[in-house]
Amino acid sequence: MPPESRLAVLPRPTLGPPPAPRVPRPERYTLVNGLRVVAAPRAGVPQVALRLVLPAGSVAEPREHPGTASLVGHLLTEGTETKSADELHARLDLLGAGVAPSVGHDFTELEVVLLSETLAEGVALLAEIVTRPTFPADQTERIRAESLDALIARLDEPANVADDRALREAFGAHPYGTPSFGTAEGIRGVPREVLAAFHAAHYRPAGALVVAAGEFDPDELREALERGFAGWNGAAEPVLYPPPPARPTNAGRLVVHPWPDAEQSEIRVIGLGMERRDPDWIRAGVANFLLGGSTITGRLGANLREDKGWTYGVRSAFAAGVQPSGWLVETAVDAEVTADAVAETLREMRRLMEERVDEAELRRAKDALMLSIPRLFETPTSVAGRLSTLEAYDLPRDWWDRYPAAVEAVTADDVRRIAREHFDPDRVVRVVVGAMEG
Amino acid sequence: MTDTIAASALRFPVRTHALENGMRIICHEDRSAPIVAVHLMYHVGSRDEQPGRTGLAHLLEHLMFEGSLHAPKGQFDDLLERVGGTNNGSTWLDRTNYFETVPSNAVELPLWLERERMAFFLPVLDAEMLEVQRGVVINERRQAYEARPYGMADERLHQMLFAGGHPYAWPTIGYMPDLEAITLDDARGFYQTYYTPGNAVLVLAGDLSADDGFALAERYFGDLPPGPSIPPPALPADPAPSADVSHETMEDDVSFPRVYAAWAVPGYGTREWVALDVLAYLLADGDSSRLQRALVREGRLAQDVDSYLYNTALCGVFGVVCTARSGIEPQALESAVRRVLDEVAADGVSDDEVLGAVRRVRRDQVSELAMVEERAEALAYAATVLGEPEALERVMDLYPAVTPEEVRRAAEEWLGAHRAATLVVVPRAGAEEVADAA
Repeated sequence: MPPESRLAVLPRPTLGPPPAPRVPRPERYTLVNGLRVVAAPRAGVPQVALRLVLPAGSVAEPREHPGTASLVGHLLTEGTETKSADELHARLDLLGAGVAPSVGHDFTELEVVLLSETLAEGVALLAEIVTRPTFPADQTERIRAESLDALIARLDEPANVADDRALREAFGAHPYGTPSFGTAEGIRGVPREVLAAFHAAHYRPAGALVVAAGEFDPDELREALERGFAGWNGAAEPVLYPPPPARPTNAGRLVVHPWPDAEQSEIRVIGLGMERRDPDWIRAGVANFLLGGSTITGRLGANLREDKGWTYGVRSAFAAGVQPSGWLVETAVDAEVTADAVAETLREMRRLMEERVDEAELRRAKDALMLSIPRLFETPTSVAGRLSTLEAYDLPRDWWDRYPAAVEAVTADDVRRIAREHFDPDRVVRVVVGAMEG
Repeated sequence: MTDTIAASALRFPVRTHALENGMRIICHEDRSAPIVAVHLMYHVGSRDEQPGRTGLAHLLEHLMFEGSLHAPKGQFDDLLERVGGTNNGSTWLDRTNYFETVPSNAVELPLWLERERMAFFLPVLDAEMLEVQRGVVINERRQAYEARPYGMADERLHQMLFAGGHPYAWPTIGYMPDLEAITLDDARGFYQTYYTPGNAVLVLAGDLSADDGFALAERYFGDLPPGPSIPPPALPADPAPSADVSHETMEDDVSFPRVYAAWAVPGYGTREWVALDVLAYLLADGDSSRLQRALVREGRLAQDVDSYLYNTALCGVFGVVCTARSGIEPQALESAVRRVLDEVAADGVSDDEVLGAVRRVRRDQVSELAMVEERAEALAYAATVLGEPEALERVMDLYPAVTPEEVRRAAEEWLGAHRAATLVVVPRAGAEEVADAA
């Protein structure tokens, strides 16, 4: 471009009032067998996202067989009472259906994405795999072997080693301290009968829920669900949670996992967070946003990335859980600045505990959070995801309607209190995977 | 259900207008969410870099977020977050893009910011800014490539596939010595050459009428001078791996061997490219697909297999990647992949295989294009590399017409053994043996 002086300088635009977000108003009903349904139809793209949520996460699995929940989730499509694995896959692939199980600590979720024209058969197949899997020996051994290989491959990556170690440091022997996909020992040893028993105990309609979002006829959905899930009965066994862990043993300390010759160090700072239903959740979200909720503008990003150039990114977040879950800072930095990066991270955490955040910075964080709502309900999968979170954690149905006022009500004192409770360097463990001296 | 593709094609109506300075404006109205996606794509990518200065296009993209004369450092992300918006940018072989999604009241803000950095960026570009972002990018290279298992494979594979100076030979992230060598003058020169209205496409998608969009584009970009015309780059010779580098082995800190095979194929938007895309899905998307069966489910040679097709302009890149299971030699994977491709080329594929693959393509297209941000990018890309946004629909409409014979011919013509570059990544010699996990 030619000399800038010749171009007009336009004033920064002043904006009108923000649009009212369109939060979906789903229809809710319960099938005769107790399966809860949340249906949010909306014309737009010819797609339906179904999300089935079961209280069948890794917390529910037998303690002696970590990996049970994950294996069960991944074996659903490997054979049912009426269809072999090959027949199931051929049918799903011909429909163009995408089936993705995800097994977390609290829940197993199955996301099925369908073209609208295939809704009826897609729901029938979903019901088939969820209610009548048979865990055939041959497929079970294949998935077991693949899972064991995947576990080994995972640890080639220092970021994964750091994540696993951070969980272990924060939660110890509590089930949240073990990755939700289990351990090699657990996966290797769990008998097939235990998988079937886990399914029988935890995959039950009463306690489960299904969310549908996208372009569909609500009556057609309801009929398909009634028909597909008709033979399914009973209630899921209650999941027994051990008492939540106390402060981590190594709180206030640095734990180093050596990784010789690494040019970067993976850094995790982990402490205890709060349960998803905690009344402080939104206040904590604001406090965390200020610290590291945005990788560029959060205090950590502004310092470690934008000011120093030490890292490509740094973030912090509270994890959602039925029980108090983790609060985690994660980054990867130049190996030679590892100690400095840990120190700067702790300094930013402490600063939020000790100094009241000024109103302008707080205003910015609140606006960023409140005004982003219109973007959150754009696609069928994002609608299904957000609605299933509300249902699964039994949150108020008008959560998103009340969200702006709840964010607006957060004060600088709230932020400081949250910081003292969760960002206090004395309450968190620093984990470094890298070439740093211990 | 009926085993056919729905007659209703996906439609993304647009109106197009060119400013006097050559900048093309594309408006796509969709009122389903109160948000607008602003997408500015420059027709410049890593292919426009000179040897010794690889990584320049991407490093410049980083610098573009560091401020402009009237929106100094820190403001770009800050202003957008305050209104509830998101933003990012990315650099690829053929294009560089900058994009923002905002609530519809705020659409002028990203336009003002894009005008700012199109017109008033050079006065703020200084050595300190370059050094910080050089550090960020070097860390990005380490984190995303060097320190990641198998992270250097694609770089080597492209060097093999595009021997002889083809501009797809080098990686977008750039080589480390080049990243260290880039000067302020390099960045200035690249910016002055390519960041001009005549070399840009602006898409406004979402809750905004075309008339309003055109008026806003005129207001924020209409007075900018067109900039120097860019001499069309000499078209490189058809890429082909030279005989002596068509097969290589590379060591890495990994536990399992992984095989990469790639072919240079016709470019994005051609009929052959569409048939190859269907073939890529037919080969490895879905558990009933050919490679999943031959390598994973029945062959039990691989933990995973994937296939992909780049939608690049000068030519496409078709790839197959698979990871060995414990105790399996990579040669077994190589020959299994070859066998499957030879079978497809010799015996063809079935109607149902093509139908399912086309449905799965459509499922992914629908998922992707459900977001106005992605739709804006797809329209901008079609306009940038195929000449007009309508080409997006035209390409999508080719899929239902793909025949089994076209798929067979694509495999025969483009994926022959003599045209392949094959890279085998093996665990570093001397590393401890991985215990047989099974």
